[in-house]
Amino acid sequence: MSRVFITGMGIISAVGNSLAENRSALKAGKAGIILSRHLPTRYAGILPFGEVLIATDELKEKFEVTDPGITRTTLLALHAFTEAIADAGLTDRELRDPTTVLVGATTVGGMCLTDELYRDTIGSCEGSAYLSSYDCASVHMYLQDRYHMQGFATTINTACSSSANAIQFGARLIRNGLASRAIVGGTDSLAKFTINGFNALQILSTGHCRPFDRDRSGLNLGEGAAFLVLEGEDARASDPRSASAAVGHGRNLDARASDPRSASAAAGKKIYAELTGYCNTNDAFHPSALSAQGNGPYLAMRGALQSAGMNAQQIDFINTHGTATENNDEAESRAMVRLFGEPPPFVSTKSYTGHTLGASGAIEAVFSALSLEHQEIYASLNFEQPIPDIGLRPVQAYGTYPLHHVMSNSFGFGGNCTSLIFSKVN
Amino acid sequence: MLYIHQTSCISPQGTYPSPGAGVATAGITAPRRPVDNLLRAIEPSYEGIPGSILRRMSKSVKMGVGAALSLPGSAAPSRVLSPQGILIGTGNGGTEDSVKFLKQIIDYNEGLLTPGTFVQSTANAIASQIGLLQHNNGYNVTYVHRGLAFESALIDAAMLVNEHPGHSYLAGGVDEISDHHYRFEYSEGWYKKEDLSGKDLYTTDSPGSIAGEGAAMFILSGTPANAVAEVKGVLTLRSEDHPTIKAAIQLFLERHLPAGTLPDLLLSGENGDNRGLEGYELCEAMMAPDTTIARFKHLCGEYPTASAYALWLACNLPAVLPGHLVKWLPSKEKVYQTILIYNQYEFSQHSLILLERSL
Repeated sequence: MSRVFITGMGIISAVGNSLAENRSALKAGKAGIILSRHLPTRYAGILPFGEVLIATDELKEKFEVTDPGITRTTLLALHAFTEAIADAGLTDRELRDPTTVLVGATTVGGMCLTDELYRDTIGSCEGSAYLSSYDCASVHMYLQDRYHMQGFATTINTACSSSANAIQFGARLIRNGLASRAIVGGTDSLAKFTINGFNALQILSTGHCRPFDRDRSGLNLGEGAAFLVLEGEDARASDPRSASAAVGHGRNLDARASDPRSASAAAGKKIYAELTGYCNTNDAFHPSALSAQGNGPYLAMRGALQSAGMNAQQIDFINTHGTATENNDEAESRAMVRLFGEPPPFVSTKSYTGHTLGASGAIEAVFSALSLEHQEIYASLNFEQPIPDIGLRPVQAYGTYPLHHVMSNSFGFGGNCTSLIFSKVN
Repeated sequence: MLYIHQTSCISPQGTYPSPGAGVATAGITAPRRPVDNLLRAIEPSYEGIPGSILRRMSKSVKMGVGAALSLPGSAAPSRVLSPQGILIGTGNGGTEDSVKFLKQIIDYNEGLLTPGTFVQSTANAIASQIGLLQHNNGYNVTYVHRGLAFESALIDAAMLVNEHPGHSYLAGGVDEISDHHYRFEYSEGWYKKEDLSGKDLYTTDSPGSIAGEGAAMFILSGTPANAVAEVKGVLTLRSEDHPTIKAAIQLFLERHLPAGTLPDLLLSGENGDNRGLEGYELCEAMMAPDTTIARFKHLCGEYPTASAYALWLACNLPAVLPGHLVKWLPSKEKVYQTILIYNQYEFSQHSLILLERSL
């Protein structure tokens, strides 16, 4: 089974518009949670958000997008996607190679156009330019078309674990011999729709979120996107038309690389990290809350270890889901204690970016890979007192650490839990 | 090696198994006709779902959960019947509740809202509710890639059975007619403007199709024993270029069928939209003279995961095809063992599913 490497990354979040900007903010402990006045919601200036500080029109201009139907969700994805493919040095030919697949994730999709959608819904007119942009698939169909990608493409929505599952699915396509290269990631933009949804659930904090703190009072919503280029060490993809053509043959397919140069897609490239473990489970407890003992999170973390062939002691660091809601941080803490006894150093980088929903798994995968590359841990912010009778304390200061294996957790509504393990490549 | 062991379906044709009546088959003699150009699903009473939960479910969640829980024999768990994971494809699952919540937001000017419809509006509500009701802690995923959402779930299932021999998985496709969604798609020209009552969908020679909905569920594994059928191959493609599409179909058939052979039956997703007919005819022309050609959209209507209905139909076809299905019947009698499903969604999303039935 082929090993899967990260050979390129791109990110845009409340703390920066590039990989370099994000890392420098994380090192400096500088959060991007602000009282924005720009958002089209009555909560602008009242609730803090992790907003990307580029206007939608500015993004359109930057990418010369004139199609009025292209949403902010798509533009954020495009921003991160462009950086990732440039970082991996992918050529047009590699992007068009039918063995290059695209696996994206989003929960908001075109619903960021709350007001436009409302008008189209009640209106009797012929509808706006956004009609075909409201769904989640529109984001990745746009990327596919813009870059003339001919390989398999799909969109996942498992709520807040969406892009962690996109990463896992892309890696499995490579490992099953159905792709040589997978561009995977997620995107979500701040929307009146999600702001009001989370507000109705009464889990939005009025101050900066405080992951794992005794007095935490909810999450800050954020927006952003991240994409990763995954490449197989021995990628011999199956079919010049589409990866999915090989289904039914499993790994014993009559391997036929369409592009001889992709025979070892990752060879000779910069490698940030190797994806060594993953697991997707369901908490099966409640539509919008985790079980108190964190069964889904526990099973996801344990399953990721099993898939990597590792024991719990080998994990050096965890980038937690850590939303700072009452429910998540307690369930995740209990699950970590169950699995690790004394958990390794951990943080929640949502204290910088806010909770970026469908993008968070990919954004935190990028942060995990940066931690491995630079052998450093970024401080978890706003923590003071541990949760009584659990007593876990996140890492509160930036520091360098010898890191070999890093775990990244993503849990979502509907009990969808996914853990990924990234490892240093020497 | 992906095998189908069990199937269930809620559709506009009353394909749901009723208590004591055994397994529903597709031997429909008098298909239900569209009303106001809509083919709405005939829903069962959902006896397996507690009333307090049922009341909060949207129609797509109800249909998905109902079809999943109804799988024959699911009351007696065994290795094959207790899936290790749940994979759902849905094009517009959650849309209806999204719009309901959206209306609350605007109508109450972002005041204090009830979160129920927001939580139900996420597309993963179908897979997660099945997981919740079946106490299934296993793999759980939802694909939302519009007209290729169900095919994505099938491809994932094929990888899972390769990775975990002996495990079984529940995979399905679910969509509902959302009034709002229908209005969007209608104004985009995807549905017929003229009333279709009394007319044959396939001879209208006008743009647009009729809207449909449904849920089709499958228990899949990598084990051939007692399987209904084997999924030999799945292909997805985004293109509007006919030579590209033709080459892809050609390559797919060469890859998955013994040299020189072609399917016994083509189940075509032809939907009455005269703008898409050429694409379907392109595939028909690639079949053998003795390949039977059948159509199914007059039974289920057009929706993003209609190919899941087609797969259910292919697994449950009676030995003699009802006349309304048939587009071309060769003179020689035929046993339908190898079935090719070719479907398009909005002209640019194409899928092929090749099935070999156990006879």
